[in-house]
Amino acid sequence: MAINPMHQFEVYKVGPEINLGGINLSFTNASLFMTISAILISSLLFFGTKKKSLIPSKIQLITEMSYTFIAKMINETAGSSAKAFFPFVFTLFMFVLFCNMIGMLPYSFTVTSQIIVTFVLAAIIFIGVTIIGFIKHGIKYLELFVPKGVPIVLLPLIIVIEIISYLSRPVSLSVRLFANMLAGHTMLKVFGGFVISLGLLGGWLPLSFSVALTGLEILVAFLQAYVFAILTCIYLNDALNLHH
Amino acid sequence: MKKIKEITTRLEIAKKNVKNVQESNEGSNAASFGKAFKISTELVAAVVVGTTIGFLLDSWFDTKPLLIICFFIIGVATGILNVFRSAKKMHKKI
Repeated sequence: MAINPMHQFEVYKVGPEINLGGINLSFTNASLFMTISAILISSLLFFGTKKKSLIPSKIQLITEMSYTFIAKMINETAGSSAKAFFPFVFTLFMFVLFCNMIGMLPYSFTVTSQIIVTFVLAAIIFIGVTIIGFIKHGIKYLELFVPKGVPIVLLPLIIVIEIISYLSRPVSLSVRLFANMLAGHTMLKVFGGFVISLGLLGGWLPLSFSVALTGLEILVAFLQAYVFAILTCIYLNDALNLHH
Repeated sequence: MKKIKEITTRLEIAKKNVKNVQESNEGSNAASFGKAFKISTELVAAVVVGTTIGFLLDSWFDTKPLLIICFFIIGVATGILNVFRSAKKMHKKI
């Protein structure tokens, strides 16, 4: 039996097919795992804040730690004026983190390995940040594309470069998360396949690689959620404070 | 009373330990790993966006190979500028 390492990324229907005006709205395994992570996050926060004891229980400790982690990150990278966006950044971080971590469990589906999911998240951030910038600074927000101290001859070229740089933000944000999860999970599957095909004699080497890669993947899963959140903070900082 | 005092001293010791661990961690492993990922995709993304814009403008104005070449080069320049900027930012923080 051939083992297809890309088989794990297949999206299929769970339950009946729903068609609304020509758009396929069926409940898929991707939506299932998104729902699972949303439920897990909600229950973690609900049970973590239910009993507010002075000496925290383990679950309360996790909740408080994730709160201070994000609050500190926003304060350091985007300043105190970005405090209002804490709920958004926190939700984003927890969602990406839980999707990545649930993907590490065997037989589960990694939602963040689908480019459309990460791209929609990045597009929401991109559009939101642009709207915030225009609300906060009005037409002056376009100064972001005109750096100070550039000679007038070079200005047309620099403006084009700055616009491309601005437009590349959602692409780099989404591709980073997607590519990391896709590559990591494919690699895990490939090494798993080597264990099977090499059998009892030669399978020990890929098996040890597999174990090491699992550890690396857990690190990457956390790190990508962290990078996603911190870049959101950096973009928010650009929109709120408007300086390079 | 005595118990609370004991707990506060224990908490302080634990906090100190946590701080030490955090400081040594943030500077080296995880944070720089994240930065490496960030820079590598930044370069590629700008090239992709530049080339896409060139392609769209090309099919719009019917100037098939011209604009895609121009915007590809501009995209590469943007990517290098992006990498340069984030490297500079990192340098400032250190």
